[in-house]
Formats: sequence, C-alpha cells, structure tokens
Amino acid sequence: MANSTTLLISILLPVAFAVIVFLTPSKLRLLRDAFSFIGASIVLCLGFYLFGVKNAELNIPWLGMDINFDLRLYHFNSLIIMAVSVFLFLITIYSFVKMKEHSRAREYYTYLFLTTAFVNGAVLANNFVLMVFFWESLLVTLYGLIVIGNKEAYKTALKSFILVGLCDFCMILGIGILWYLTGSLNLPISPLEPDTNGLAALSCVLMLIGALGKAGVMPFHTWIPDAAIDAPVTVMVFITAVLDKILGIYLFVRISLDFFVITMNSPLSMFLMILGALTIVFAIFMTFVQNNFKKMLAYQGVSEVGYMILGIGSATPIGIAGGVLYMLNQTIFKSGLFLSAGSIEHRTGTMDFDKLGGLRNKMPLTMICFVICAVACCGLWPFNGFVSEEMVLHGAMETSGGIIFMIAGWVGVIFMGASMIKAGNSIFWGKENKELSKVKESELLITLPIVVLALLCIVFGIYNYFPIVTFVEPIFFGYAGFFEHSGFTAHTLNFFNPVAITSFICLLLGVVVYRYGWAKNNKSAALSSEAVRNFPVLKNIYNLAEAKIFDIYDQGLKFLKALGYILYYGVDRVVDFMYEKIIAGTVRVVGAILRFAHNGYYANYLAWCIGGLIIIVAIISLLS
Amino acid sequence: MNESFASLVILVPIIGAFTIPLFAKISPRMRVLAATIIAFATSLLAMALIPFVIGGNEFILRKPLILGFDFVLIIDALSVFMSIAASFIGALIVLYSAGYISHEENQTEYYFMVLLFIGSMMGLVYSANLIFMYIFWEITAICSWRLIGFYRLKEFVVKANKAFLITFLGAVVMLLGFILIYSQTNSFDLTEMRGVMVPGMAVLLILIGMFSKSATLPLHTWLPDAGIAPSTVTSLLHAAVLVKIGVYAYARIFCWTFQLPDMWYQVIPVIVIISSLVAAGAALVETDLKRILAYSTVSQIGYIFLGLSTMNPIGIAGAILFLLMHGLAKGGLFLCAGIVEHNTHKRDIRELGGLIKTMPITAICFLICALSVIGIPPFGGFFSKFMVIMGAVKAGQFWIAGLGLFIAVLTAVYLFRVFNMVFLGDYSKLDITIKEKTKSMLFVVIVLAGCSLLAGIFVSYPMKLVNVATSEITSWLTPWLTAQHY
Repeated sequence: MANSTTLLISILLPVAFAVIVFLTPSKLRLLRDAFSFIGASIVLCLGFYLFGVKNAELNIPWLGMDINFDLRLYHFNSLIIMAVSVFLFLITIYSFVKMKEHSRAREYYTYLFLTTAFVNGAVLANNFVLMVFFWESLLVTLYGLIVIGNKEAYKTALKSFILVGLCDFCMILGIGILWYLTGSLNLPISPLEPDTNGLAALSCVLMLIGALGKAGVMPFHTWIPDAAIDAPVTVMVFITAVLDKILGIYLFVRISLDFFVITMNSPLSMFLMILGALTIVFAIFMTFVQNNFKKMLAYQGVSEVGYMILGIGSATPIGIAGGVLYMLNQTIFKSGLFLSAGSIEHRTGTMDFDKLGGLRNKMPLTMICFVICAVACCGLWPFNGFVSEEMVLHGAMETSGGIIFMIAGWVGVIFMGASMIKAGNSIFWGKENKELSKVKESELLITLPIVVLALLCIVFGIYNYFPIVTFVEPIFFGYAGFFEHSGFTAHTLNFFNPVAITSFICLLLGVVVYRYGWAKNNKSAALSSEAVRNFPVLKNIYNLAEAKIFDIYDQGLKFLKALGYILYYGVDRVVDFMYEKIIAGTVRVVGAILRFAHNGYYANYLAWCIGGLIIIVAIISLLS
Repeated sequence: MNESFASLVILVPIIGAFTIPLFAKISPRMRVLAATIIAFATSLLAMALIPFVIGGNEFILRKPLILGFDFVLIIDALSVFMSIAASFIGALIVLYSAGYISHEENQTEYYFMVLLFIGSMMGLVYSANLIFMYIFWEITAICSWRLIGFYRLKEFVVKANKAFLITFLGAVVMLLGFILIYSQTNSFDLTEMRGVMVPGMAVLLILIGMFSKSATLPLHTWLPDAGIAPSTVTSLLHAAVLVKIGVYAYARIFCWTFQLPDMWYQVIPVIVIISSLVAAGAALVETDLKRILAYSTVSQIGYIFLGLSTMNPIGIAGAILFLLMHGLAKGGLFLCAGIVEHNTHKRDIRELGGLIKTMPITAICFLICALSVIGIPPFGGFFSKFMVIMGAVKAGQFWIAGLGLFIAVLTAVYLFRVFNMVFLGDYSKLDITIKEKTKSMLFVVIVLAGCSLLAGIFVSYPMKLVNVATSEITSWLTPWLTAQHY
C-alpha cells in the first residue's frame, strides 16, 4: 500500500512543486531556486527509491466504464522515472545560472516540474486512456517551454505543438483500433500479429507514428532544429535530448514487445528499419552542413533516433536491447553536448561557428567534457556510444537486408565524426575571435552537470556490463527469445570484430571528409562542410531542404490553407449564397407577383378563388 | 421535493424575467443584481437535483391535459446534467454582462430576454412531451432573434431575421416530424415511447429541426452571421443555450427514446463530420474573431452529434460530457473575445496583435479555453473528444474517427492562429493604453478557464453523472447493442 501511494506521489509531488514555484514571486529568485532545488532533490530520491521498489500497483476508480486511474510500476518504467529524475536534478542545477536572468524563469521551472509529473504518469499508466492523458499533456508543457524562448519562439512552439500533436492523434486512433480488436483499454493485452491482420497493422503503424514522432523521427522532426535556435538550451536538453527520446523509445519498445508481435524480416520490421536508415542518413547530411552548434546537435539527435529505430525495428534481441541502450547512452552524451553548448553560449553569447574559435584554453573544462561526449557520440571505443552503436549494427546485420542497413549506419558514423570534428575545431581550436578574448570558464553550477555526464560516458563505456545488466537486460525478462541472448556483452567491448573495425574505419573516413573540406575552404573549420554542401546532386537537395520543401509542417500548412479555401468558398459560401440570394430572392419575386395579384378588385379575387377551386377539384378527381 | 425543484428551475428564470422591468424601475443596479441572482438561483436549483439523480433515480411529473398534450417533466441524469451545464454557464454570462452591457441602452429588454432564454432552455430540457419541447424551442428562437438584433442597426436586424427564419423553418419541419410520430403512436409523451422504431421520414424532418438549431451543415450559416450580437449573447448562443438545444433534443429523442432505422446510424455520422470539416476549413480562412469562434462551434457540435450517433456507451458519454466541456471553453473564448472587442473596438484579427502585454489574464484564459476546445489534456475538452473518437472507432467508423482527429488538428491550427495574431504577433499594432476589463468580466473568464482545467483534472466527478445518464440512455439499447456487437 505504501508503495502504491508512492506511485501517486511520484506524479503529485512534481505538480505540487510546480505550483509552489509558480506562486513564488519572481522577485524572490533565491527562494524560487531553493524550492526548485528541494523539489528536484526529492524527485531524485523518489526516482531512485522507485527503481529499487520495481513492483507496485495502484488502482483508483476514475472515468467509469472500466477505465480506472491504474498505475503499475515495473523495471522498465522505474528505469525511465529514475533517469528523468536524474536529468531533472542536473538541469535544475544548471538552470540556476543559465536561467538566472531570464524574465520567465518562474514559468520555466513550473513547466519543468509539470513535465516530470506528466512523464512519470505516462510511463506508469496501466491503461491506454491514462497513458494518452499524460502523454498528450506534455504538449502543453512542450509549448510552454519553447514559447519562453526568444521573440520568434512562439512560431516554433506552435510548430512543435502541431507536429507532435498530429503524431499523438495518430496514436489515439491506433489505440482506438487496438481497443476495437482486443476489447480492452487496460494493460496488459495479448499482443496482436500485424503480419496477418490488416487492422492490427494499421493500428501498429499509427501507434508507431505517435511513439516515433515524439522521439523526433523524420519527417516529424522539423520543429527540433527550429527549437534549437529559438528555445533556451536547457529546454533543448530536457525535452528534445532526454524526455522525448526516452518516452518515444519507451513506447516504441512497448509496442514492439507488449502490444504487437513484430518478427524479424517481417514487412513491418523492414519498414521500420528503412525508416531508421533514412532518418540516419538524411539527418546526418543535414547535421554536417549546419553552422550553428545547437542546430547541429538537434539534427544529430534526429539521426541518432534513426539508430534506435534501426536497432529496435530489427526485431532481434540484440538490436532491441541495443536500441534501448542507445537511448540511455544518447541521453547522456547528447545532454552533455547540449549543456556544453549552453556553457559556451553562456560565456560567448553565440552559437555560430564563424563567430567562435580558440576557446580551448579559456574554457578547458567545457572543452574536455565536450570532447568526451563528442567521441562517445561518434561511437568511439571505449566510450558508451560504442557499445550501443555496435549492438544496433549487430542487430541490423542479423536481418535479411542487413548489409544495406549497416551501410546506412556507417554513413551516419562517417558524417557524425566529421560533424563533431567540425564543431570542435570551430569552437575550441582554430583562430581565436578577438571579441571573445575575455571569455572564461563557466561557473561551477554549469560545469558540474556536464562533468557528471562526461564521466558517465566513460564509466558506462568501460564498465558497459553495468548498464546492460542493471538497466537493459531486466526489461526483457519474461520475453521468449531473449534469454539465449542475455550475453549481450559478447558483442560489446570486443573491439576486434568486423563490424566494430568497419565502424572505426568509418570514423577515420569522417576525419578525411572533414580534412578535405577544411583544406579546400581556406582551412576554415566552419566551412569544412562546403565541399559536401556543393557536391553535385547533394547541392540541389540541400537547396530544397533549406527552402523547407521537405518540411512537413510548412507544406502541411499550405495544404490546410488550400483546403480551407476550398471548403469555405466551395461549400460554406455556396450554401450561404443559397440562403442570401436564391431563397431570399425567390421569396422577394414571389412576393412581388402576389402583391401584383392583390390589387383590390373583387373580380380579380373571385377569379383566383374559382381558379383555385378548379385546381382542387382537379387534384381530388385525379387522386380518386 | 424534486418535482418542486424541477418546476422551480423552469419557473424561476421565466417568472424572474418578467420581474426585471419592475426591478429596473427601482434602479439599474437592482436590475443587474436581480438578473444575476435569478440566474445563479436557477443554477443552484438544478444542482440541488444531483443527489437525487446520481443514484440512478428518475422522476416523471405528469399533468394530464387534453389530446395527449400532457405536461410531462422528466428529472433524470441527462436532464439534470444539461440543465446544470446550461444554467451555470448562463449565470456566469449574466454576471459578465454587468460590466459588458453597462453602457448600452435597452438593458431591461436584454436581461428580460436572457432570463427568458435560460428559462425556456430549462423548460425544454425537462420536458418529455414533444409539443412542450416545441413550444420552449420556439421561445428560445424568439429570444435569440431579439438578442442577435440587440444593436438594432438595419444590417444586424437582417442577420437576426436570418437566424430566426432558418431556425424557425427547421422547427416547423421538426413539428411535422412530431406529428408524423403522433400519427403512428397517438402520443407526444416521450416516456411512453421508449424503444419505438420511428419512420425514416420522421427522422429526416426532426433532424432538419435539430440541425438548424445546432447550426449543422447545410443549416449553419446563420450562426457566424449572429456574431454581430453582443459578445455576451454570442457566448450564450454558443456555450450555454441555443446550439446545445439541437444536440440535447437529439440525445433525448433519438437516443433516449426512439430507435432509428439502421441506415440513419450510418448517414448521420457522415453528415456531421462533413459539417465539422467544412466549418473548420471556414474557420481557417475567416479573419473576423467572432466568426472564427462561431465556425469553431459549428465544427465542435459535429463531434457531439457524432458521439450520440455512435450509439455505444463511450460515444454517448463523450457527447454528453462534450456539452459541458465545450460550453465552459467556448463560453470563455467568446467572453475573452468580448473583452478584446470591448477594448480595441476591432474584430479583424489582422488588425490586432501583442495584446498579451497589456491583457495577460485574458490571453492566458483564452489559451486555456482554446486548448480545451482542441481537446488537449489536462483540460476537460480532452476527455469528451477522446471518448467521442473512441465511440466512432468502436462503431467501426475508422475513417470518420480519423477525420475527427484531423479536424482536431485543424482546430489547433485555427485557434492558435487567432491566439498568435491577437495576443502575440505584431506588437507594433498594440495600443499600450489598453488594459484588462472590469473585475466582474475578468472574474468570469477566469472562472470559465479555471473550470475547463478543473473539469479535466477532476473529471471523475462530472463523469459520475454522465455515466448514470449514459446507462439510462442505453438501458433499452442493450439487446440492440449486443446485436450490433458493441
């Protein structure tokens, strides 16, 4: 019972702190920060406690019709809750300095806590209605967190709201169809086989859109790079680098394991792997040509989602486990990178590569952490990114189209490497910008979370056995086919296998690509991508991408506008015209005729009466 | 005791309306005070019936009259829920009117008509005799006609006439439908006709009446035109009374009472979803703030009809809940629009911008209500829309459910377009001298926005009443539902 109540507390407590922080006057900044710190600390402790508890349930009557407020804690969601609480704590500490001068910091902390509450609710929910309730509530906080950015942020906030909302609505329809097929909105359900049931396949695809759209898969990703420019960096870390990925992949895994039976080499598996491969390749090509660090990281994050989809979509035990491990590791190194970006922005006020340079001596701690997170991100041995990337590629290798998917993965590695070198050289090496001569290392509260994350990149890389055995493997207990693969680590630190060696060679190729571009463009790191940018065919694709031709939101709005005009002028105005002109006009004409007929002469009226009588008699005789 | 409450819910606002000229003789302040007290008393009387109906009890009050024209009142969860939703929102609008209408002429007529409007709505809601439903129906038409043409300008009167003529036409056609039913059953008493199959022609005729009142395609264009009325009136029309009459009548007549030929359960969802789509498309194009909100109402009403037409418990429950959630949120949106119009004397959203700087409370309330209308949790509108969509899915109408969700995206686009253009957007259009409106006006929009949020967080409370209403509606349906595999 005590543990059951704790489940509710894990939702209500962040809400309570959200209210407390919101009610704290803006002028009392220290008090607000203190409340935020206390709140984040308690949530952190609660997160670890729930991870220790692992099993608990709570069921309270709610909507009737067998739809209850039903929460269930088990290993997988306890892991998510713990991870979220850790990131909430780190981001809160970081924000004390980073958001210190922000005029809307109070709203920011409120949304931070509310987001945590909704995420906890979404993962704990043990029926679909409750899950959708919390899941979709995140739209509000996503909008709120982005809108507090710069002056143009409201446009990006709306973009994120519409795109993620669209995915959520698809998920709702998918859930509806699933309910239609299974007859239950409560979990667990007997998994359906989409390979043999068309409706189940439709439901599965719709739910996948919801899950992967949240994670930022192409083509629903376009708000993320925009948000990187308009939203505060802490928001980018908390929402796009951590929560959306964690939640999206969490649901993706549950769809793959608990709701549907997706088998290796099935059409659905192939579809997912193609989607993952395309996301990796297209996003990484966009990553390399970016000249804004945060935007580069945003595109990179999209590409990384591709790896997770590739792994989990392969429907192989090692691929799925690799996808989940990739998700955990990605949140660590990507947060580290975003927070490093925030640290640089905090001191320099810019994120443009051409305005940065030579900061390695001025911000050494940030530089070291950046390098560690960057190499982890590239999948270099022995950092944490290596392990998960290898597992994903091994999973892909086991499928029938394995080599194609692996090539896509390796293309990603090449340009991931090239992008990170470009970023590192543009920011920390190269020519020093004179305007930045007085720059110094960020405050402890900013660097501390980055250091923690960088250390995790090393620890989870070298001791990769720990996250795999402690976090990942227990997720799959009870699922057929996973136990024989429980030695996932066989693939990991063994660097000398063909896949890992090829990945390493791809990284070296990334160095070559960077170096070639650098040499061709006046030895400028910021311009090192120009060689790729101006490559035949690619140049046209880049031009189209920059014109937002591939932006589903921009194109979608044009479509909706056109649809609106068609419906308005083609239907609504036509109907109104009928009333205003045709019916009213007819009434007017008939009225005028009748007025003419009513001229006051008895003989006239008599003629009308006789005429009418004749008509009536005629009708009666016809009817009889 | 309960019959007294039910009678008083109808009589207090109707008789109270006739006392307004007397209070006006005393003082304008007394007039406002009396109207507000009467409106809130009506709401409280309706709420007093909750304990009785929440347990699944139902009471029928019958006063026999000649030729089957018995005066029959029904006190059950459906009528009580609807009367609470309508009277509570109506009362808040009367309170808001104290500030909004204070500088206008003909206030006595205004309050008289508003109270009569609410009273006749109560009469309609509790009536279980088709003829009395028709009578109250027409009284609301007369009230709305006077209220829409409140400003008395020639073009406004033309629009009011349009609204009256279309709804009156619909009502007369509906009356023919009632007569057709009478010719078959020899009764106008709904309580005696539960489960009776009605002829398709009667369904068509009655539907025309319902669609005209609830502004559904192709009988909807009077509603956007009615935007020329004072914002309090438009709010009343959209949120509390007028457009809800048609959907309530549908619930009472076509769900609670009669069985329709199967064909209609396929046709009605198609009509209403097309209506919803067309109205959402129009809202995307319109630039007049109140017309956009009016089209939004047309669009949302489609969901209510859709939920009711699914004839399964979750769809019907969603539709009933929708009546409350949409009322709260749409009432809030119109009253926020009223504050904007009152302050800026503009309704074209292209001429507005940046108002969040000077009117932050109105802006936030508008946003909350908009989110509820879109169907985003934790706001109340989420549950109603979600259940309606689920109802459509359960009925096997997947493409209609998909279209419903697509319309929800359109709703988000056009409501955020309004929010962005009016409250954010171009700050150069902002007149910094503009301030928030009177405390009573702000209080009302805060209450409506707050209720939209609280109704979502504590949804289990309204759901108790909704579930009772749903089970009462579907009680006779059980064999039919089983046959339809629901």
